[in-house]
Amino acid sequence: MRQGIGTIQLALRAVSGHGGWLAGLLLTAVWLALPSIGVAAEGTATGPTEYRDIPYIGSRNLVWIVAQLHLLLAGFVLGVPIFAWLCEVIAWRGGEKRYDKLAKEFTKLLTSAYATTALFGGILLFLLVAFYPKLMNYLTDVFFPSFLLYCLLFLLETATLYLYWYGWDAMQYGKLKTLHVVLGFLLNFFALFIMIVPNAWATFQSSPVVISEGTAIERAWAATWNPTWWPINIHRLIANVVLGGYICGAYAGVRYLSVKNPEEREHYDWMGYVGNFIGVFGLLALPFAGYWLMREIYQYNQQMGITLMGGFLSWLFIIQAMLIGVLFLGSNYYFWLGITYRIPGSEGKYRRAMLMMLVSLLLCLAVWMTPHSLVASIEEAQKMGGAHHPLLGVLGVMSAKMTVSNLMILITFMSFVMYWRAGKQDTAGWAKLGKAVMGAVLVLASLAVIVLGVWGYFVPAIVRINYFSTSQVLIVIFVILTITPLTALLLKSAKTTTEMVWGSMPPRAGYALVLNAVMVILLMTLMGYARSSSRVHWHVYGVMRDSSPYAYSPALGSASLIMAFCTFFFCILVAFIFWVATMGDKAKAAASGKGELPHGIPAMAGGAPEERQQG
Amino acid sequence: MSEVAQLQLIALSIVGFGILILLFIRATFVRVTGFVFIVLGLFSLMSLAVPQLASLPPAEEKVDLASIKTPTDIAAIGQTVFFSKGQCALCHSIGPSESARCPDLKGIGAKLSKDFLYESLTDPQAFVYQDYRHGGVPKEYPATMPRIDKDPIGLSKNEILAVIAFLQQMSGEPISVSLSDLEIPGQTPKAPVKAAESALVAKARTH
Repeated sequence: MRQGIGTIQLALRAVSGHGGWLAGLLLTAVWLALPSIGVAAEGTATGPTEYRDIPYIGSRNLVWIVAQLHLLLAGFVLGVPIFAWLCEVIAWRGGEKRYDKLAKEFTKLLTSAYATTALFGGILLFLLVAFYPKLMNYLTDVFFPSFLLYCLLFLLETATLYLYWYGWDAMQYGKLKTLHVVLGFLLNFFALFIMIVPNAWATFQSSPVVISEGTAIERAWAATWNPTWWPINIHRLIANVVLGGYICGAYAGVRYLSVKNPEEREHYDWMGYVGNFIGVFGLLALPFAGYWLMREIYQYNQQMGITLMGGFLSWLFIIQAMLIGVLFLGSNYYFWLGITYRIPGSEGKYRRAMLMMLVSLLLCLAVWMTPHSLVASIEEAQKMGGAHHPLLGVLGVMSAKMTVSNLMILITFMSFVMYWRAGKQDTAGWAKLGKAVMGAVLVLASLAVIVLGVWGYFVPAIVRINYFSTSQVLIVIFVILTITPLTALLLKSAKTTTEMVWGSMPPRAGYALVLNAVMVILLMTLMGYARSSSRVHWHVYGVMRDSSPYAYSPALGSASLIMAFCTFFFCILVAFIFWVATMGDKAKAAASGKGELPHGIPAMAGGAPEERQQG
Repeated sequence: MSEVAQLQLIALSIVGFGILILLFIRATFVRVTGFVFIVLGLFSLMSLAVPQLASLPPAEEKVDLASIKTPTDIAAIGQTVFFSKGQCALCHSIGPSESARCPDLKGIGAKLSKDFLYESLTDPQAFVYQDYRHGGVPKEYPATMPRIDKDPIGLSKNEILAVIAFLQQMSGEPISVSLSDLEIPGQTPKAPVKAAESALVAKARTH
């Protein structure tokens, strides 16, 4: 440092004779910058920076919040195109225009949602590079080729999205419509890869596969194909459909609560139904994907599995059961409200069945929420004969939980079938036989699920996991794949006794849709915390240790407030995106003053507004 | 007021705020926001009602050779390692337990020799019996036990010996781990565990 000051004095003497004020200024600037050079030199002496922090919030909390919001937005941005494309295909093949307009309305959201997602992704990247430079350096070294691939995919997805959205009106008919549907497929195709590439970076941290030899591509590929990569890919893909569906439902629910126009009420009631249906459709498959993921985690590392389900995170699964339980109840409740209010005359006919379903769901939920061990005083433990309650301890194990979760899926499926069949009378000659077969399949399947569940207590865990639980899942899938086509065949020739009345749902239906969406978002935040916490004090499990002050997982209570904040902030962001996306349309509608539906606002239930006017 | 009580108060305030909105505000969007507040507040209250367990990184147990005078001192260190850095209690119990997923270690020190225990901890696949039975055809299932000397647990030789001493003491056996078995720092430096050699890190096939 002293040497440096001496050099400046020499230089100043040299320039003073020439009166070079500019050079003097430059040297002053260099002199002012010297302390930072000194700091940098000191930093170099002690090795490269591993962590940086910010006061009050803490670097970990900030990264947590931004990463969670980015993930939720990404789930929304990836779920909505699937949802929209499916609706477009239904309209294209079935000829129902309202599905096409619904698809268009949601695709319109994508442009603003996409930008917001990218914004949060950029912020996350900057924060990670700033706060965790050593970890990011390591991950870059492993994954460099996939970073380039990701950039390419991002470009392709952006181009496809623009073509898909801006080409909507121009590609409405004939071969151009086919091209538009293909564009929608490509959008989803690129979106899928946009999801699975970063999934590799995240899953690598939990289940790393490292090779030190080979080319950069070989090393990146080995790290990408890690044990939990595909289970997460499948799990997230389904979860994104569920998220997209329920958010669509929540949007419709809020609009339903606020609109006064009966036509709009009809429309948003119908949109809420579609959103809830797609959400439930994904929800039925989600537990299977989750089970597969947990199984892979156990196979990869028993310790990590136990940390998740038997260690300090075990109580998290009780909260998860509560959230999933409320989601199942909310989805069923919405179906039951639909039967009661949309199909006049059905409320009395199905009341008993609905009551039985409600009781069964609550019983299943009670079993699912039963903890394996209780927090008990020494006196209480002595009375119970251990940490496990004599009865509740039996219900706290996986055999019971797998059984009730499968039963809840079956009940929800039957709720949907009941809604589907409501207001219709069978006319087919084989209707009696068909219904008997369906009833037998359902009863036998339920019994088989229960028998396997009870039997599971008496066999080694590996037999239960590999054979019994898998069989339970296959039985439920068999029921869904048998009853769905049979019901569809029966209803093809059925007589409609009561027409569906849209727009007659009570306000609580709108709140039920909002509740379902909040439950899904909370579930995603909760399981994000679980996945991250399962790595315990490792950035990359078993490879790179977290040596920062944040190398611990916070308790569930304090974490829940961050999760609640993320959920709330995400809801506000989505509301903002919806508001921005429809702002221009409202202005256009007001300017035209004709009461015509603005561009992008879908048709009423039963047909497009133009069609009605023509009719 | 404890931290949990403070957080409960915050969660309760969120619920209360939501209820106030629903009671006094008529605007739909604000009412829905109030409803969301209630749901999120209840979620936090539920999460705060369950046992609050944080996962702390394991404490580094320094085996201070100077402080070890007897084998009992080694066993005392082993007990600490068993319940902290070693994470043994995550899967094993000492005495019968319904929640234990792996063999009960009560009396294991009497059944197995020091060398056998060392091998079981550092090379768990070497000798495995189905369902922990001491008989029958071995190796029907691979051992779920991880290599304890590799990451992510990564116990040093001294720490492993201390755990063995603890297991022997717990079984009422004389401790066969002696002071001379322990490594003196500086004499046999521990080779760094490379990422690719870690027990957890699977080696991918590059062909």
